[in-house]
Amino acid sequence: MADKSKLGFEFPTGYLRVEKNKIAEFAAALSQKDSTNDVKKIYRDEDTARSEGYINIPIPPTFPTGFAFWTAGGLFGIIDKVGADVTKLLHSEEEYEYFAPICAGDMLTAKMKVADMYERGRKERKGRYFEITVLETEVFNEKNELVLRARTTFVER
Amino acid sequence: MNVCYDNIQTGDMMPPYTSLPITRTHLVRYAGASGDFNPLHHDESFAKAIGLETVISHGMFIMGIAGEAITAWIDNKCLRKFSVHFMGMTQPADLDDFENTKGRATITVTGKVVEKFEENGEKRIRCDIIAQDALGSRKLSGYFIASLP
Repeated sequence: MADKSKLGFEFPTGYLRVEKNKIAEFAAALSQKDSTNDVKKIYRDEDTARSEGYINIPIPPTFPTGFAFWTAGGLFGIIDKVGADVTKLLHSEEEYEYFAPICAGDMLTAKMKVADMYERGRKERKGRYFEITVLETEVFNEKNELVLRARTTFVER
Repeated sequence: MNVCYDNIQTGDMMPPYTSLPITRTHLVRYAGASGDFNPLHHDESFAKAIGLETVISHGMFIMGIAGEAITAWIDNKCLRKFSVHFMGMTQPADLDDFENTKGRATITVTGKVVEKFEENGEKRIRCDIIAQDALGSRKLSGYFIASLP
């Protein structure tokens, strides 16, 4: 059961460098390619990325899903912090707002907090009662500009 | 890409995108790439212990496939918002019964432009999207907002 005293809890600030090879690896996973040499050129070649108007190789839209896993103690680090039960956990919604492109070489700062916790349904109705937790992450670049806001909603059934 | 605001009309369809049949190897590669090592996505014994028949895909892998569909049509830098609600689990194809199981693991993403508007000095579209398997079972629905030249 999620621990409601965690509402508003702020995770330690995460710092990460966006790595070129990690982008190619992520792009290969999404496009179901065996080799990073087979991903779209924009995800592996700086010159192609620059010719398309980026300062460096851009990230795929869902790449930021990894930021929390790499900086906040992994999935289990996050789950332990909010007091959730991994055997009952379902990811129900994900949302990204993009304010500026994120590219290879960017040094990012990620601030994640427990933005909301609430229940749906009535406890006595089995299978009809859910506890919902919303994590919000704001990501800033070196100039301290907000480049991304992510909202992750998960449910314990 | 040559998608521009004046050439897009409300009701236009995004070009559909279909994944390869998702295998357990694809799930392992996604786990490593994303850092999401929930055993639900690679460990059969864990999946069975919590009452599932087998492992299931990360929802975020399906959202990532939807992102592939979007960025095959619209430049990454044009995206302003991407939001989804997960609707159903996806089991990978079984390699020892591939023909009978590939349909449940093959994801097609479709989209439809539902709004054109101006916001923050930009010309934007809102496009609703759906991802479903080859059997018609819905995996996610959502939308994206893009700024177009």
